[in-house]
Amino acid sequence: MNSLNLILCAVAAAALDICILVLILTAYREKKSSRINWHRVSNDMELAEQDKTYELGCDEVLIGRHASADIRLPDLSVSRYHAMLTVADGVWTIKDIGSKSGIFVNGELTRETVLHENDIIKLGNRRLLFRKRRDGNVR
Amino acid sequence: MYANPVAYVFSCFFVLIAHSAMLCNIFFNGRYDDVHQIAVIGAAVIILDIAYFVAIVAFRQTSYALDFLLILIIGMSVIFQSCFGQIHLDVKHYITCIVCLAASKGAYILCRNHKLLQDKKMYFYGAIGVLILITLIFTSAENMWIELGSFTIQPSEFIKPLFVLACATSIADQQKKHKILFINVVYENIALFGLMAAICLLQVKSHDYGSLPTFLSIYAVGFLLRICYPKAKFSKKKLIAVGAVILVFVIIGLKYAPDYVQHRLHVDIWSDKTGDGYQQSQALIGVANGGWFGVGPGFGALAKIPAYDNDIVFTTISEEWGLLYALMTVLTIIIITAIPLINPARSYFHGTMSTCICAAFLVQMALNIWGSCNLIPFTGVTIPFISTGGSSLMVSGLMIGMLMACQSPVFKEPAHKKKQEAPEPAWRWKE
Repeated sequence: MNSLNLILCAVAAAALDICILVLILTAYREKKSSRINWHRVSNDMELAEQDKTYELGCDEVLIGRHASADIRLPDLSVSRYHAMLTVADGVWTIKDIGSKSGIFVNGELTRETVLHENDIIKLGNRRLLFRKRRDGNVR
Repeated sequence: MYANPVAYVFSCFFVLIAHSAMLCNIFFNGRYDDVHQIAVIGAAVIILDIAYFVAIVAFRQTSYALDFLLILIIGMSVIFQSCFGQIHLDVKHYITCIVCLAASKGAYILCRNHKLLQDKKMYFYGAIGVLILITLIFTSAENMWIELGSFTIQPSEFIKPLFVLACATSIADQQKKHKILFINVVYENIALFGLMAAICLLQVKSHDYGSLPTFLSIYAVGFLLRICYPKAKFSKKKLIAVGAVILVFVIIGLKYAPDYVQHRLHVDIWSDKTGDGYQQSQALIGVANGGWFGVGPGFGALAKIPAYDNDIVFTTISEEWGLLYALMTVLTIIIITAIPLINPARSYFHGTMSTCICAAFLVQMALNIWGSCNLIPFTGVTIPFISTGGSSLMVSGLMIGMLMACQSPVFKEPAHKKKQEAPEPAWRWKE
């Protein structure tokens, strides 16, 4: 192969490289829009405590005392695997997954119930507010 | 509606540029008698690209990155396969590539909503059982394919996507524990283990030891995620025990493997260049001959070696197109498996599915490349999307369709399962 052909080979390989790079950038751009899409799927809800908010980032959110729970509540009155939040059609449901102290939604003991905006969820001694997502600087 | 029209246009444009650059390379460096052959390949690839770009818009996905990567690698595959030995459009491979693209969209539609699939999991077990029976009845250790006209089908390949679905659907039932004597067991785990054992026995009976690591990798990843589900169930003791059991099985397997496998494990390809080491020694000579930029499309000598277009396809590309192109082909497949890391799945089901598929793709690719470069014994496993073979391409299409479903999922309860919402209290304060 002469040097011109070698340069042509390198140019073809570079075009492929650039294409792969562009597709990676496309994937990163799509990440942002899929996050917005998720907010729509999850009805843009979050859980809030006195001084903390918890994002509901996937369709099954485990709440418990254990270090690797999705929402960790380090309180002895909360079971290690206390409750599971699930979403379908933009409707969130909370389910007891074998906790000791149970789940109270608006003061009523429940095994499984659909959540509405501004419901108060009591897990052990912890009270969580199920509400619409707010900006970071709005309390 | 797709939220990134500019990214869509740029991606389409650059995929076309990449394919056009490859076609230019054939024109200037390839071996051809008639320039019309290049025009035919070029038209076939560009028309397929444009048709796919138009078709995917109808699917209204959140993410198209995998679609662009798929069409990029499929176009590369058509160009590579059409240049091995001599330059002419490989029509059979072209048709199987179209089937692969169609299969990907079919799998995407089927796997978008995992809540629908969850109810159908018994069908997956049934379908795997049927495929195992078909493989046992209609194929043998000498011939694993069923011939349908000029096309051949390898039924055992189709077990892969179904097995991935079985792994993913079983994950939601990990909390349904049943006490047998003193042990808490999950029926799903026992069923899946039984299925894995049946598949392993089938592969051993069919002498298809190459596919065994792919199935084991799917099962291993699925098992790992199952014992981590929900995340709190992670147990280091269990992981160490599983690792130890796998190690023991590998050692026993290697020690008591059949004679021809033992021979392959210990063969010195350079002292047996005309026997068992023929393909690998020729493949390595081909890689060395090709260098970084290759000898030119159509000029390769490896096209005369058996299985040049599937089992040793990496080295055939290295020889004709150069190691740089071969490595970039590998990079494209690695990027396909890395997309779920950029845009993570939003459910355990889709997370498990994407991890199992990525494991299968990576293991298959590693077995092929390392095997043809003599780093491990020669296995005869195909590289996804690049190697020829209708079943392999169709299964790769199905699996990437499942990956697409993980990127653009839907979370809807089936109509018969919709919950009756509790009435909202009248006193509730609205913001």
